[in-house]
Amino acid sequence: MADYERRQPSGGGSGGYNNRKRRYRDDDEYDRRPQRRRYDAPLPVRIRKQLLGLAESPLRRWHEEVQSIAQVIADGYDDQELQTSFLDLVPQMVLEQPLKIPFVAAVVLVVNSLKPEVLDPLLARITSATEERAKEGEWRDVKLYLKFLACLQSCLKGDGLFPVLDELFSRAVDLQTASSDDTIGTELVKIILLTIPYILAAAPSTESEQKAAELMDKTDIIASEPHALQILIDPYHAERGTESPVANSSLIGLLQKQLQNEAANGWPLSCLPRPWRMPLEEIEQQEKLDNAQKHALPTIALPNKVTTGPRPLFPEIFYSVYIHQDIESVPPISNIASSVIRDALLDTINVLHFNRNATARFLIDADCYFAPGTFIKRATPFDRLRDMDGDRSSWKPEDVAVDAVFSQLLQLPTPEHKLVYYHSVLTEACKIAPAAIAPSLGRAIRYCYQNTHRLDLELSYRFLDWFTHHLSNFGFMWKWTEWVEDVNLPDMHPCKSLILGALDKEIRLSFAQRIKGTLPEPYQALIGPEKEQDTPEFKFNNEHTPFSAEGKELAALLKRKAPDEEIQPVIDRIHSAALDQSIDPLVTSTDVFMTAVCWVGSKSLSHVLASIERTKDRLLDAGAASEAARAQIITAVINYWSAHPGVAISIIEKLLNYSIVTPGAVIEWALVGDRAGPYGQALSKAWVFELVFHTVVKVTSRLRQVVIGGVTEGVQEEIAAMRELFKTMDDALVSWAQGTKDQLMDPVVPDGGEDLVKRWGERWLRVFRRRSAIEEAFLTSA
Amino acid sequence: MRPGVRSTVDRLDAPSAYYHSRNNKRKRNDHGRDGKDSRDGDTDMADVKPEEPPEDPLRNSTTLYVGNLQSLKRERAVANRLNATWGVEDANQETYRSFYTTEEQVYELFSKCGEIKRLVMGLDRFQKTPCGFCFVEYYTHQDALDCMKYIGGTKLDERVIRTDLDPGFEEGRQYGRGKSGGQVRDEYRDDFDEGRGGLGRAIQSEKSERMRDSEKNREKDTHHEDDYGRLR
Repeated sequence: MADYERRQPSGGGSGGYNNRKRRYRDDDEYDRRPQRRRYDAPLPVRIRKQLLGLAESPLRRWHEEVQSIAQVIADGYDDQELQTSFLDLVPQMVLEQPLKIPFVAAVVLVVNSLKPEVLDPLLARITSATEERAKEGEWRDVKLYLKFLACLQSCLKGDGLFPVLDELFSRAVDLQTASSDDTIGTELVKIILLTIPYILAAAPSTESEQKAAELMDKTDIIASEPHALQILIDPYHAERGTESPVANSSLIGLLQKQLQNEAANGWPLSCLPRPWRMPLEEIEQQEKLDNAQKHALPTIALPNKVTTGPRPLFPEIFYSVYIHQDIESVPPISNIASSVIRDALLDTINVLHFNRNATARFLIDADCYFAPGTFIKRATPFDRLRDMDGDRSSWKPEDVAVDAVFSQLLQLPTPEHKLVYYHSVLTEACKIAPAAIAPSLGRAIRYCYQNTHRLDLELSYRFLDWFTHHLSNFGFMWKWTEWVEDVNLPDMHPCKSLILGALDKEIRLSFAQRIKGTLPEPYQALIGPEKEQDTPEFKFNNEHTPFSAEGKELAALLKRKAPDEEIQPVIDRIHSAALDQSIDPLVTSTDVFMTAVCWVGSKSLSHVLASIERTKDRLLDAGAASEAARAQIITAVINYWSAHPGVAISIIEKLLNYSIVTPGAVIEWALVGDRAGPYGQALSKAWVFELVFHTVVKVTSRLRQVVIGGVTEGVQEEIAAMRELFKTMDDALVSWAQGTKDQLMDPVVPDGGEDLVKRWGERWLRVFRRRSAIEEAFLTSA
Repeated sequence: MRPGVRSTVDRLDAPSAYYHSRNNKRKRNDHGRDGKDSRDGDTDMADVKPEEPPEDPLRNSTTLYVGNLQSLKRERAVANRLNATWGVEDANQETYRSFYTTEEQVYELFSKCGEIKRLVMGLDRFQKTPCGFCFVEYYTHQDALDCMKYIGGTKLDERVIRTDLDPGFEEGRQYGRGKSGGQVRDEYRDDFDEGRGGLGRAIQSEKSERMRDSEKNREKDTHHEDDYGRLR
């Protein structure tokens, strides 16, 4: 509860962090400036403020708030300015603050009982906006408008919204029969199924039930059939002989069953708020509402050819990090509440990407927007749920909120926004209500950690990235002691791999000593002294390193920015010495030269970039000369920065930009040989995955840019190159996954490591086959 | 949301008040130079109407100014630490790291919004060491906006950093404009900020002086507004 009052509720989300005028914390709490003379803001401004703040305070009673706003609107509706602003604001609120849709609808319903002429222009506005959005393929907006109209069902003539849903369904059928890969039809069915509960909550009647039953009979075929693409986007990559925990959790499949459940029980829909229903003492108002004028819903014409819209659509799977628990802290997937609440929260999260503070506030306040009793009191400790009475809800609002964000963070192929947005939402939520959110996050983290072995590898990496970023915002505090036994696991074990990856990422955002200070003793050995060194040693400073003299000489020349003519003689000397020792001359000189470049630029990334910029012609020549030399450039960088792979990855990214190394060279380097780690150990290293993943993303996003930009010249070559890249990866990974790699056939492989390597190979393979499939799908659609 | 429509919730990717106040000042000055200063505001507005509105220099900006980074110098960091812990010097001191946010840390965090095209660390004019701000340039405007939304106001190296859209880096702007070489804000800071070298530098140097009267205090407060080594 203590967290409730941290911030004062502010109309429609609080302001930005950039409020520099308030430098002291106190200023936020007590405003000591002389009070300005009070004046009444113009009516439209006041109404805007009240509407935006709807339902935000748990202290105000819904029906009172709704009635008072409606009264003001009805009284002042002759004001032209008020009319315009009201007609603009309502549709905007529906799209921007989805959790408040039922409350805005309630205001409109009460207004209708007082001043029915308000409704027709509003309905016209909403329906034409819906048509507009449908044309653009903005299906979320369509869904939100329909949800709003569903809440107004009681004031609509005839069957109200049902004919619109019927029309949507017939579109869905056409699309689905045309292609089994169709995803728009799936999306339309999802919209239908998510709209039905709101109609039945707003206008319960036998006709509605009848209509809903007919509709659900029809949607059943589409909803119950697993989608062809579902296997591609399953967040779990089940081990052989096991089944993914979400194999039967297609979102529309669940929705269909949940609605059938509700229908069988007479549509209780107990989680939905019904702010339009007046308490007994308001019987007069209730009667007015019941007998208010009904309006014809203008037709909503769907476009002849429906489109996917700006984002590619995929079937959705319901993912939760909490449903496996022995006590229910979130609605079970058999309950319609799980889908309806998740849907409203996801829309809120994805719509409000431009103000994460507001998003976090909505998530913390989620319980304000659903029926009383849906959730247990905020911040109730998980352990306390055990002592609950049988019939009271044990759903923790913070678990439901965190779950929603995690479902986005771990959504395949990609969520709507950059992953860092979802990081920032969790950070803010944790800042607003640490006592409530932090323990929920802790349980989510444990779940992901324990399931990392069967999580899709890309998602495992996403989790790692979020986890460490999150810790960096909260003093790097984590209960490492609970995983202490895993420290002794082999490095290739998924859990150990995660620990190693996490420590590296933490160090990148901070520094080794700081991180060491946060770790229990058994972990200390994982951070060697080399990681505490800001600047790695230059191996040629050691007399015993072959070519030590040349290495030092090259470094000295590079340091004083000597012209290339002075460098060449040293390189020539290395070449002839190498020939004498019958080793590859170019590879040898490239190693010495690139290592020297790294050492000279070791002070910071700017230094090394400047150093590369000055020597890029020589590096380009070396890289172009032979595959082995190209690989050696990468080897030299990674070896030099072996204690700080993050720096190495940044440097290689720049080398890719200069085309000094090619994407193909990076992939070969990482996956084909054992340069990134012997016996396939490379596959278990988070930084190797990061290196390869970033390289692939670089290639694919560049190609997309070119294709979208409409450039035709050279596109075919680029497409061929991308396919070649995926093929190289596939070949290399298949042999790891099947255990046919030479290194795996080698009897020297450590015990039991073989199966681990195969599994890593499979996990990698899945990620990049999916990537490849998605790029191919993009190319066919473009 | 559609451009031009005010959202029902504030946006975090709008430029801060700092930029606007700077901009307005400059506008007034320009008018002065053009000899339009005799006109009052209203006629001025009427005058501007038929012309194209001036191009917003931030409209396609790909650069961000990033402030409030850790900027404590090595010597002082070590001394502070040691004094705090043992009150003595220690031979071990080289193992302490320099206490300023590094380029690598900035890369690690800011890359989460997109590939970084260029990073320019803000430097102390005299000592050429990082002094607490930097410029991050992305390849696209959208990445810069996303950075405002998702990274500004979060922590890097355990400090809450500040981001602001910037019309673009120009040579010279990487140096602090404070009297002693660092950022102006570090001259007259009267709060003790360990991550930025304790009290303001000017304050430290005049520490022996008697307590400043409130009049002077207020004067210094206005310096805060002109903080950063940027936008001349």
